[in-house]
Amino acid sequence: MHAMSGRTLTQLAALLALGAVLLALGLAIGSMGWSPWTEGGDTMRLILWDIRAPRSIGAWLAGALLALAGAIAQGLFRNPLADPYLLGCSAGASLGVAALLFVMGVSPAAAALALRVGMTGAAFAGAVGAVLLTLVLARGVTQSLRLLLAGVVVGVVLGSGAALFTLMNPDILRAMQAFMLGSTGYVGWSAVQVMAASFALCLLVALGSSRALDALTLGEDTARSLGQRLTLIRLLLIAALSLATGAAVAQCGLIAFVGLVAPHLVRSWGPTTHGALLLLSPLTGGALLLAADIAARWVIAPQELPVGIITALLGGSYLLWLMHRRKAHFGGPGGAR
Amino acid sequence: MNGAARFPAERDATGAAAPVDLGRVPALRIELRSLSLGPREVLRPLALAPAPAAWTAIVGPNGAGKSTLLRAMAGLLPFDGALTLDGKPWSAWPAKERARHVAWLGQNEAASDDLTAYDVAMLGRLPHQPWLAPANAADHAAVEHAMRQTQSWDWRERALGSLSGGERQRVLLARALAVRSGVLLMDEPLAHLDPPHQSDWARLVRERVASGGAVVSVLHELNVALQADTLVVMDEGRIVHQGAPDDPATHDALQRVFHHRLLILRVQGRWVALNA
Amino acid sequence: MNPMTLLLRALRLFGMAGAALAAALTAAPLLAAPSAPVVPITLKDDRGHAVSLPAVPRRIVSLLPSLTETICELGDCAKLVGVDRFSNFPASVQKLPRLGGLDDTSIEALVALKPDVVLLGVSARVIDRLEGLGLKVVALEPRSMTDVQRVLGKVGQILGKEDDARRLWNRIDGHIAQSAATLPPGARGLSVYYEVDAGPYGAGTASFMGEILTRLGARNIIPAELGPFPKLNPEFIVRADPQVIMVGQRNAPGLPQRPGWQAIRAVKNQRLCVWIPAESDVLVRPGPRMSEAAALMARCLRDAANGPVPLPTVPFNAPPGGMR
Repeated sequence: MHAMSGRTLTQLAALLALGAVLLALGLAIGSMGWSPWTEGGDTMRLILWDIRAPRSIGAWLAGALLALAGAIAQGLFRNPLADPYLLGCSAGASLGVAALLFVMGVSPAAAALALRVGMTGAAFAGAVGAVLLTLVLARGVTQSLRLLLAGVVVGVVLGSGAALFTLMNPDILRAMQAFMLGSTGYVGWSAVQVMAASFALCLLVALGSSRALDALTLGEDTARSLGQRLTLIRLLLIAALSLATGAAVAQCGLIAFVGLVAPHLVRSWGPTTHGALLLLSPLTGGALLLAADIAARWVIAPQELPVGIITALLGGSYLLWLMHRRKAHFGGPGGAR
Repeated sequence: MNGAARFPAERDATGAAAPVDLGRVPALRIELRSLSLGPREVLRPLALAPAPAAWTAIVGPNGAGKSTLLRAMAGLLPFDGALTLDGKPWSAWPAKERARHVAWLGQNEAASDDLTAYDVAMLGRLPHQPWLAPANAADHAAVEHAMRQTQSWDWRERALGSLSGGERQRVLLARALAVRSGVLLMDEPLAHLDPPHQSDWARLVRERVASGGAVVSVLHELNVALQADTLVVMDEGRIVHQGAPDDPATHDALQRVFHHRLLILRVQGRWVALNA
Repeated sequence: MNPMTLLLRALRLFGMAGAALAAALTAAPLLAAPSAPVVPITLKDDRGHAVSLPAVPRRIVSLLPSLTETICELGDCAKLVGVDRFSNFPASVQKLPRLGGLDDTSIEALVALKPDVVLLGVSARVIDRLEGLGLKVVALEPRSMTDVQRVLGKVGQILGKEDDARRLWNRIDGHIAQSAATLPPGARGLSVYYEVDAGPYGAGTASFMGEILTRLGARNIIPAELGPFPKLNPEFIVRADPQVIMVGQRNAPGLPQRPGWQAIRAVKNQRLCVWIPAESDVLVRPGPRMSEAAALMARCLRDAANGPVPLPTVPFNAPPGGMR
């Protein structure tokens, strides 16, 4: 085995260990702050197993899904600023949720339908629908720039649609705000199952396409000359991207920065091929979001901060530090080139 | 790097100068009626079939359509006409199989700054690797050979972003060589390479030709091109002349397309083109 | 008659005519509104600004539903010329021109109504604009029960009906005390969780609903130090295990399916009081319908003490434009 993958294995083990530690911590932080499972009665422990365990695992899975989607997006579009929401996913999910909340009060039949679909169903449908709309507008997956532009357009238009619904019925404002800032509060075991299945599927597709993504870094022409079937790979990866983002957003709302920052973190630990990147990014993202969720629960217990604010703080500070370090590396007297 | 290392008198331990096994070298042939990029007709009717075990250099003034022709030959641009490999149409070949026979090195190729030089070179083995299979011993040997040929083996562990322009270009070259295809198409491969490394490049082309491969390169550097086996002189989307560098007709064609502003001389047994 | 005498007589006639005209002009307003005092009204609104009204206003615009209700409760509904989009009680105000909300008031329409005074909440964005246009603005924002008493007094002062305002407050207070007194012993001391919005946002002891619950003798699971409307960790509610949950009809359906909530006593024993929109309206507005709010909550506690609380039969039908 090449020496490179030895380093990857070490990183893999370290991230899994970190995840396990955070999971243990997540099980120990309750609504009153630090309350490990050693104390308290049996019935209370059982109830908290219904709440803390799925919530912590769910936060990890959501972070992993978003980070995987972010790594796919950055590889597919060869743009380090790409994030999981760039094809309009976030705006589509917001529109789905806003439409659902709005429709709930319109008529009893609509309310019954809305109850069956549920907020998670609406968010997921909205996210996937937005990506489909982007694909239609961009007339296929062949041109990256067209896809990006279509994604921006869809994002803006659907986002204002969501805002319009909120304006027409200001009651839903607080529920929309809770969704936009992200929350892992109601993640139960069924949500965990859905996210775990999506994660397994998307990870398989992504790892299978990792070589093609590596080839794509050399440019489209070279990738095609190496025998890669780009159109098929792009369709598969966009499908995986939408599924992963939709699943995460449906359960936990719009969480910022995790998808953008996790692949950067992995790359900052040394050169990585996409195979390693697509494996290590989810582990990093999961740890990041779980840590943010623990902080959100702990800091002002029993009140909760929206988890999206904490990920933005963590992610933003990291990017600032990265910019500062890069500046010294390339711009200063010790620059490499 | 001192001169002795650059021009080894002996074969070194990895057999860097020994002929490589390219398998069967297919015959690539392009018969083009017209190629337009947008509204502009870039290539007029032409035909080209690079000979195996020979180095063909495509030369001509700016805007003659040299790079476009090479991209069309690599199957990267649609055109009105036929591109065949061993008589079979290009589209009839499975993508990976034809990738094993025809390798491409583009002009100003982008590359991720995050990959190591070794990983970039290993990408050249993709056409040989079944889906998801890890690199095997043959892959490693081919990559090592290619990197030693381009003198990029010593920094194989460094990230591509930390290399200079010339060092990067040699890694990308190694990537193209690692494919070990019968046909090797290279567009402006000498970018960022200083004169000693340009000579190295000419030498490894000779080694590839000696192994039986067909090499087609688009070159601006006439002095290097004049060392090829065949010169294809292009102007305004047409092939004006195909011939050996010794042939006076080739010199005439070159003078014509460069508006007689060249001085083609024989210096120390080699053809040299100077600006007049 | 000599010319001097004629001149003097003309002057006297002229002067008397002028005096009579002047008297008539000054007497006219007095004759037109015999019950309005001419003394200017000065008061300090909730911003701390001193506002001075020249007389009792006859044209009033109200941009806060609780203020609309207060004005109507004091008998001066006829003086209202414009209200905000959320004011819907009593039914007569629904025919008045709607001027938007606190953030998007149609200023042109408001100014065209030529109000003598504009009553609105402290957080309205339009206050500066309206004052800049020369309108009299009184900002009042009732948030707690003491606020309601104070605001009642101030509105009474504006309308010149201070005694009526005091009597109204005593009536409301009395009704609340009666609701509390007539609660059976089994309905007292129940632990209650009032969910204001999905989040979950709860109504704490410091909020308006919390105050009413306290007066009814219920125990709020949210302590006062968390503030009026904290966003809680759902686990907190599960651990607190309330006996009764009060929630709006919009958020009620998914509540029992939340992870871990099936173990809460209120969910297990079906002690969920679900408020239809008309009832939510009463409960969230700190205004003169406070006694109704107390009666609604008392009914809920009484039902909960007797057994499972029936869910509302009418399907959820949100009023257009939302509720506030």
